Amino acid sequence: MYKKSEAVIDIQQISYQYENSPVLNRVSLNVQPGSFLGLVGPNGSGKSTLIKCILGLLKPQAGTIHLFGTDVNHFTKWGKVGYVSQRANRFNAGFPATVFEVVSMGLFGQLGLFRFPKKKDHHRVYEALETVGMSAYAKQSIGRLSGGQQQRVFIARALVSEPELLILDEPTVGVDANSARHFYDLLGNLNQFHGLTLLLVSHDVGTMTRYVSDVACLNQTLHFHGSTRDFEANKDLSALYGYDVQHVIHEHEEMAR
Amino acid sequence: MIDVFFQYDFLRNALFSGMLIGLVAPLLGVFLVVKRMSLVADALSHITLTGIAFHFLLATVFVGLAGVDPLYMGMAFAIIGALFIDQLRKIYSHFKELAIPIILSAGVGLGVVFISIADGFNTDLFAYLFGSVAAVGQTDFYMITIVSLLVGALLILFYKEWFFLSFDEEQAKVSGLSGKWLDLIFTVLVALVIAAAMRIVGILLVSALMALPVAAAMQWAKSFKQMFFYSAVFGEIAVLAGIILGFYLDLAPGGVIVVAAVLILLLSIFLQKLNRKSFQTKYAEPDAG
Ligand SMILES: Nc1ncnc2c1ncn2[C@@H]1O[C@H](COP(=O)(O)OP(=O)(O)OP(=O)(O)O)[C@@H](O)[C@H]1O
Ligand SMILES: [Mg+2]
Repeated sequence: MYKKSEAVIDIQQISYQYENSPVLNRVSLNVQPGSFLGLVGPNGSGKSTLIKCILGLLKPQAGTIHLFGTDVNHFTKWGKVGYVSQRANRFNAGFPATVFEVVSMGLFGQLGLFRFPKKKDHHRVYEALETVGMSAYAKQSIGRLSGGQQQRVFIARALVSEPELLILDEPTVGVDANSARHFYDLLGNLNQFHGLTLLLVSHDVGTMTRYVSDVACLNQTLHFHGSTRDFEANKDLSALYGYDVQHVIHEHEEMAR
Repeated sequence: MIDVFFQYDFLRNALFSGMLIGLVAPLLGVFLVVKRMSLVADALSHITLTGIAFHFLLATVFVGLAGVDPLYMGMAFAIIGALFIDQLRKIYSHFKELAIPIILSAGVGLGVVFISIADGFNTDLFAYLFGSVAAVGQTDFYMITIVSLLVGALLILFYKEWFFLSFDEEQAKVSGLSGKWLDLIFTVLVALVIAAAMRIVGILLVSALMALPVAAAMQWAKSFKQMFFYSAVFGEIAVLAGIILGFYLDLAPGGVIVVAAVLILLLSIFLQKLNRKSFQTKYAEPDAG
């Protein structure tokens, strides 16, 4: 319902603090339809906090956030937004639900009150599971899957409502390298061929920059926001935000094995 | 042998009321258990007792109250307790279980104060504590029916929301499912069922009917939907056994219901263990040979 030129996410001068120390300081960020934005920054730099503000889970003390042109405080079309949280795999592991049931949760917000999933919704759940390669596990208990498999299920849940904006907070933590590559290919496809707007937080800057169109560097304030090419061209910045660091980490992991 | 239950009104009331409670208490219990809130039922049942004590205290002053069912006051107290628990869980959001000892001890303390002001009661407190078949009257049956219908309707209407919220509150909120009033409705429903179940199971044992069948169901259920099925079946078996055996053997029905539920639970755990064992030996054999 938004005009094509309208930003999917429009953040103006927001500041946030939990108790006393400021975490976000006058951050402004604009995400255009169809873009694939990678958000990078060291641990504790406020990435997850920013995302929670975007999702309306936290209320910034200053500034405004608009989603699809609507102030986030009045936004209701949450079916347009998919979200995979950093803590997605820290749920109660003994919860007696199947993979199918967990993915269908992604449709609940769209269905609204007093409505129930129908046959075609079942179909959508299987499609989403197919997309992440987990359809064979539909009837399994969610608690009996490995961490990476659970993460894929949560990604399927975020995809099942066919959102226009997908926000992922370190979705590939605990996912093996091969699956991570598949996953990035999948995100790239969704972005290019389905016009899905993506916001991705990742510490794996090396892999991420091969896929994203834009990069934003956050550390309390926004230090950079521009195209991936400009980010890579700026050697100081890319060094600071993890290119080399990532390289070293990979080598360490290799040695540990 | 069950015929006698249809010959006498009071037995029929007890039987039907019990069957309704045996259905809705475990159904709500499923959500209580997965939200790690099963002790909330205990706190609310003690608050219900406080309400009943308050009724008797008032009745010593206002004689007109003697004819009124003390259950209504118990229900009112349980709902107020539910509101307090809801608030306390928000205030201590990282220590949500703190709400339980606070409300439980407040309820018992206040109840004891009421009882001592009234200088003790000559009412049969035993029936309130452990349940009684004879205590279920026609109006009790109607009230239990209304509460059960309400619970059933709301469970169907809000199944999605409660399921998602109990699995992952943050994600549910991002999906636009508002948590606040849904949590509140749920806690109030639990309060209503506890007050309604009190006649049959008794205050001290009602929370068992919300936890034990669910614990047994966890041994069998392969999905969240199946949790409701097994919990309801086990709840029904326990209640029927309790009321019928309780009547013939002249035992407090609440006690027999809980003993039956414990037996079902133990049997479930045992059978599942056996199941796993036979699976293990089946796959261990080639190694041994
Ligand atoms: N619930 C909270 N209460 C108080 N402070 C918090 C809370 N959550 C985060 N913080 C603080 O806010 C800062 C930013 O945290 P945030 O989780 O946004 O970082 P991040 O960039 O996502 O880090 P990571 O890369 O480790 O995920 C940290 O210094 C942290 O200590
Ligand atoms: Mg984070």
